[in-house]
Amino acid sequence: MSKEHDKGMTLIVKVITRLTVGLILLYGIYIVLHGHISHGGGFAGGVIIALSFVHLMLAYGRDVALKKLPKSAMSFFVSTGALIFLGIALLGFFGGHFFLNFVSKGEPFRLFSAGTIPLCNIAISLKVGVGLFAIFIALVFLKFEWEKKE
Amino acid sequence: MTIYLLCLILFCCGLYCILRKRNIIKIILGIIIAEYAVNLFFILVAYRMEGRSPILSSEVEIVNMVDPLPQALVLTSIVIGLATTALLIAIAMRIYDKYGTFDITKIKELKG
Repeated sequence: MSKEHDKGMTLIVKVITRLTVGLILLYGIYIVLHGHISHGGGFAGGVIIALSFVHLMLAYGRDVALKKLPKSAMSFFVSTGALIFLGIALLGFFGGHFFLNFVSKGEPFRLFSAGTIPLCNIAISLKVGVGLFAIFIALVFLKFEWEKKE
Repeated sequence: MTIYLLCLILFCCGLYCILRKRNIIKIILGIIIAEYAVNLFFILVAYRMEGRSPILSSEVEIVNMVDPLPQALVLTSIVIGLATTALLIAIAMRIYDKYGTFDITKIKELKG
């Protein structure tokens, strides 16, 4: 057994996690990218993306999950999501007003349609997915005063 | 009508939990229950008999759809509920750190 099997849950949970965690992440990305033509959207897909990272952390322990998504990358993605959303909204001013749909609308009911709405969905999913994982990390690994003394 | 009254009963369960319980975690659970009762009420108000979801698609023509406005409102409400719940849990953890208890009657000292 390699060194990364020391922490976390048993071998059964780890194997199942290794098989399913990529599928969960892909499903979240699918929900995000199809948010403008079917159910779902940025928030729902972002929650599923965050749950895939939480799943990885519950099975493999803190170090493996934080190696996949370190804290500096987390703060970068959260800020990037907010800035992309703001940038898309502000770019509408070139055409006239706030949140103007300046990209070509495309053909309805196709994947590449609806102008800026898929881009907004991607920005929201970055913000929500990484932010929810950051909240989880912060709540689980908060060190209390009396724990530090021991 | 009955179904709206059931919503009211669920809300009252949450309200009872907020007002009568002394454990902070149970109070937070009561707040969540009350919040979801209100969300459920909005969705039920928007429902039409045998309506389909208000999303256009290419193959089906919509004859009867549910009201989309409360659904958008409830989606926003769920997001805000998530944020407030995380904030409440963080405050509860801080209280436990400072006083060593979740019981609100035992939190007496006013310091710092």
